[in-house]
Amino acid sequence: MTRQAWVLGAASNRFGKMKETGREAASRVALEAIQMAGLDPNEIGYTFVSNAFGVAERQAHIGPLINTALGIPEVPSHTVESACSSSSAALHDAYVHVAGGFLDAALVVGVEKLSHLDTLNATSYFAMGADYPFESHNGATFPGLYATIADAHVKRYGTETEQLGSVAVKNHLNASLNPHAHFQKPITMDTYLNSPVIASPLRLYDCCPFSDGAAAVVVVAAEKYPNPGMEPLVIRASARAGSIAAMHDRPELTGLPASQRASQVAFKQAKVEPSQIDFMEVHDCFTIAELVALEDMGFFPRGEAGKATAEGLTARDGKLPVNPSGGLKAKGHPISATGASQVVEIFEQFNGMAGGRQVPKSNVALAHNVGATGSSASVHIFSRR
Amino acid sequence: MSATVPPRGLPKEPSAAHTINEFEHGYEEEQRLRGFRSACGFVTATWGLRCARCGQYDLTEFILSGKGVVSAYTVQNVPSDEFVNDAPYAYVLVDLDEGGRISGWMPSVRAVGDLSIGDRVHWVPSYKPGVQFEKDAPAPGDGGR
Repeated sequence: MTRQAWVLGAASNRFGKMKETGREAASRVALEAIQMAGLDPNEIGYTFVSNAFGVAERQAHIGPLINTALGIPEVPSHTVESACSSSSAALHDAYVHVAGGFLDAALVVGVEKLSHLDTLNATSYFAMGADYPFESHNGATFPGLYATIADAHVKRYGTETEQLGSVAVKNHLNASLNPHAHFQKPITMDTYLNSPVIASPLRLYDCCPFSDGAAAVVVVAAEKYPNPGMEPLVIRASARAGSIAAMHDRPELTGLPASQRASQVAFKQAKVEPSQIDFMEVHDCFTIAELVALEDMGFFPRGEAGKATAEGLTARDGKLPVNPSGGLKAKGHPISATGASQVVEIFEQFNGMAGGRQVPKSNVALAHNVGATGSSASVHIFSRR
Repeated sequence: MSATVPPRGLPKEPSAAHTINEFEHGYEEEQRLRGFRSACGFVTATWGLRCARCGQYDLTEFILSGKGVVSAYTVQNVPSDEFVNDAPYAYVLVDLDEGGRISGWMPSVRAVGDLSIGDRVHWVPSYKPGVQFEKDAPAPGDGGR
């Protein structure tokens, strides 16, 4: 028997290039989220931390460092690593503990700082999230792996370059209205089309940036906090799934089985249909990833998401707003902060804090976060009380 | 999908024989591309203790032909550190003639037009990292492709 769990506070810093260390940024957003939830730090029973590439800062095991900075050094913590889906996996852990009655309040923090690395080193670090000896050691980078998905999608469904570009243009426009976003300026289709090819067919503006950033979420048992100061996100579903790690060993290249499975479980848990989702944050590390995610989760038939995006259906004021935050593509992708930051966006939308990027309707929302090329995936569904 | 389960209390020795090191040593030093075939017919080079598709324990080690057709590819202009002196090059997924798919790279492919999905390729031993492929020579009379 589970009890209802809420996200009661959520905070993020501005993604991009951080001057401070990861532990400083993580501690600041954590305190902000705790205060937003109306809690005293001493009410936190456990801290679930994600910092997949912390060793790039010569620092591991940052949970106790964050808790010490928050004045709660006695609170237990552990690090959750699931590549780009690390902090959504941490959120899942927090949900399980709170909904299961083991904790009344839990802190989820995700942070990454990689901007001190050059492109070559950052690309090499990210390649470690794939199956290194069987993919990365054979020349694959992350843009390369997603480019093969794009190549297969283009060949099978006729997905057009401008359809990929419409994802980039939409998400940059949304990011231009998001003070947390790495990129703050819209781009045109010409800018997209004239950008250099990184891994064919993916261009520079098909790819998310290397971002620093931190985001935090406070999860509480609803029965223990009956009078919230903020509009809480009711966690209606928290689902995780995996799939064969090496992409070449999967039966198909044009979808991510883990996204399909996680979304099916989430829709069943939440007892909602895709048609009931008002808006969503999906994992768009590359433009093709957004299209594949929308098809994997059943929002559009196979091969149709590109056309729908180009027609404006997923725009902020469209029928189904996708990535009003700007997504990984333009808000930025600080690996271990990304999953938590998707929840920050949904929290701000539910609380009317999203300013110019406020979506028309925000009663039910979905967050989809992928680890590596889909060997892990998380889907969370939230609603109002 | 039914996995063969060993009797309780008696750990079954996985049939997968070679290690990841031996896989890499195979193509680097022995001119052999090692792979596995599962009882369900799934073929892979990727190391494992049970079949990733069906969960069977019975993986038979065999030597892959290294021959097949390109099922997807990308020309990478921004490499990782291991390939920094080789970009641009193609990262390819190759459907092997004996079944199964494998990742590899093709230093000779430097532009999108140099390769097409469906092209026949073969593995070539190399002192460079990874599993390296080359396009097959055109058959007589096929116009170069």
